[in-house]
Amino acid sequence: MPDVGRFLARANWPGLCTIALGFLLWELLLRAGLAHYQNLPPPSAIAGGLLEITRNGQLLADALHTLRVVLVGWAAALVIGVASGLVLGVSATLRNYSLASIEVLRPMPGIAFAPVALLLFGFSLQMELMVVVLPALWPVLINTMGAVAGVHARLFDVGRTFRLSGAEILRKVMLPAALPGVLVGARLSLTLALVLAVVAEMVGNPAGLGYAVVREQQAMRPDLLFAYVVAIGALGVGLNAALTGAVAWLFPAAAGRLREAA
Amino acid sequence: MNAAGPGRATQAEPDLVFSCRDASVEFAHQDGPRRILDRISLELRRGEFLTVVGPSGTGKTTLLRLLGGLTPSTQGAVQVNGRPIDGPPAGVVIVFQDYSHALLQWRTVARNVAFGLEGKLPRAEIAARVDDALRLVRLETHKDDHPWQLSGGMQQRVQIARALALRPAVLLMDEPFGALDAMTKAALQDELLRLRDATGSSFVFVTHDIEEAVYLGDRVAVITGAPGHIGRTVAVDLPKPRDQIVTRQLPRFLELRYLLHQAIGQGTHA
Repeated sequence: MPDVGRFLARANWPGLCTIALGFLLWELLLRAGLAHYQNLPPPSAIAGGLLEITRNGQLLADALHTLRVVLVGWAAALVIGVASGLVLGVSATLRNYSLASIEVLRPMPGIAFAPVALLLFGFSLQMELMVVVLPALWPVLINTMGAVAGVHARLFDVGRTFRLSGAEILRKVMLPAALPGVLVGARLSLTLALVLAVVAEMVGNPAGLGYAVVREQQAMRPDLLFAYVVAIGALGVGLNAALTGAVAWLFPAAAGRLREAA
Repeated sequence: MNAAGPGRATQAEPDLVFSCRDASVEFAHQDGPRRILDRISLELRRGEFLTVVGPSGTGKTTLLRLLGGLTPSTQGAVQVNGRPIDGPPAGVVIVFQDYSHALLQWRTVARNVAFGLEGKLPRAEIAARVDDALRLVRLETHKDDHPWQLSGGMQQRVQIARALALRPAVLLMDEPFGALDAMTKAALQDELLRLRDATGSSFVFVTHDIEEAVYLGDRVAVITGAPGHIGRTVAVDLPKPRDQIVTRQLPRFLELRYLLHQAIGQGTHA
């Protein structure tokens, strides 16, 4: 019960009011006939659609598929990004050799890989993962590299004067010092992973929330289409909130510094 | 000079902790090697408080890093306990000038102080040593704070406590009070002398403040020039314990101060 009370107290009521007002305006404009589009449903119809796909289980099945792609792809991007970011952050030589390649690859729109992924893997989970992992990698890699390279030289001296081994300095000094930067990258990457998964499902693998949007559009069911769009938005908000909560719980000190940076 | 503290096995070992013979340090630079320290000869005995005084740019920090095993000498011999230095020696800890960079900002005060002991001692022993060290620097009520919640003087005391928790034979201190106000500085100077008496550790204390060098030191080494060279070493024959008001007004204190000003002045004009 106190949890509910705290949640209610912390909620951004003015912000929520603005959103509610927006929906109300939308509903009224359509009902009054002031705005007229053939395929733009009022919020009430979208709510009805949401209820329908929740009841028949479509939403859960589609959301679970997309969630799995996002989480697996994000995890892969984290592992690859943190590992290579660490190596590149530590070694100035490696950085000199690879930074040019990174700067060429990084600005490429990730979705440009979708046709390649389709050719390689067909309509499959692997195709989706390839589209997700490649672009979601960069924020983690770049932020980890920057954070590690930016660890103050004095901290190495401290590690050495206390006679720590190289591995101990990495684990007890550099990783914690770089953690806020790594977390920033992880958060950007998670948001990106959801966008990419949805797009991959729209243009490639016919599954999940992204495909559901296209499917309902082709079935001329705008109410369901919008219901899925709302669901995708809710998934994004939920994932971000879950990550923020997990970070605050696991690394309270880093979370404080992260909030300041955000 | 102070005798070593009780409980130390000093009889078997010679009295000498550090000895430098014509040690020079050069750094690679785009137009060839640049000499930072020039033929340094220096000795530190057990329980001794050696201060090194000189203007900035004379390689004081490099000298400390040389003794602490962070920077190797390019010529000459540097020995610790009779053996050539090869990396940071056991029982020797550096206290850095820039405490805000030297503390682990994500750790509490207590966990900063425990840093050098983790994995080397049982948990209970670490906790006891952390409490002892924090009591010595009078920070026992701040053990759960983070460094950024403390004033500069308190942060520097955390760094000193972290070094003390290791019960080091030698503390190498690089202008540790340089950024502090006069009152805090005086209080920490006295704490340091009290600690020396309590622990029997040896100190090499680098400063650009001549009065501080005389007040703290058993001996003062004057480092001047670029590359830095140790010109003369002056024994400080002032009574102990030192007192911020009485000691600083003794005619001998003023004489020594004058002497060192002269030595540094000549060095910079040469």
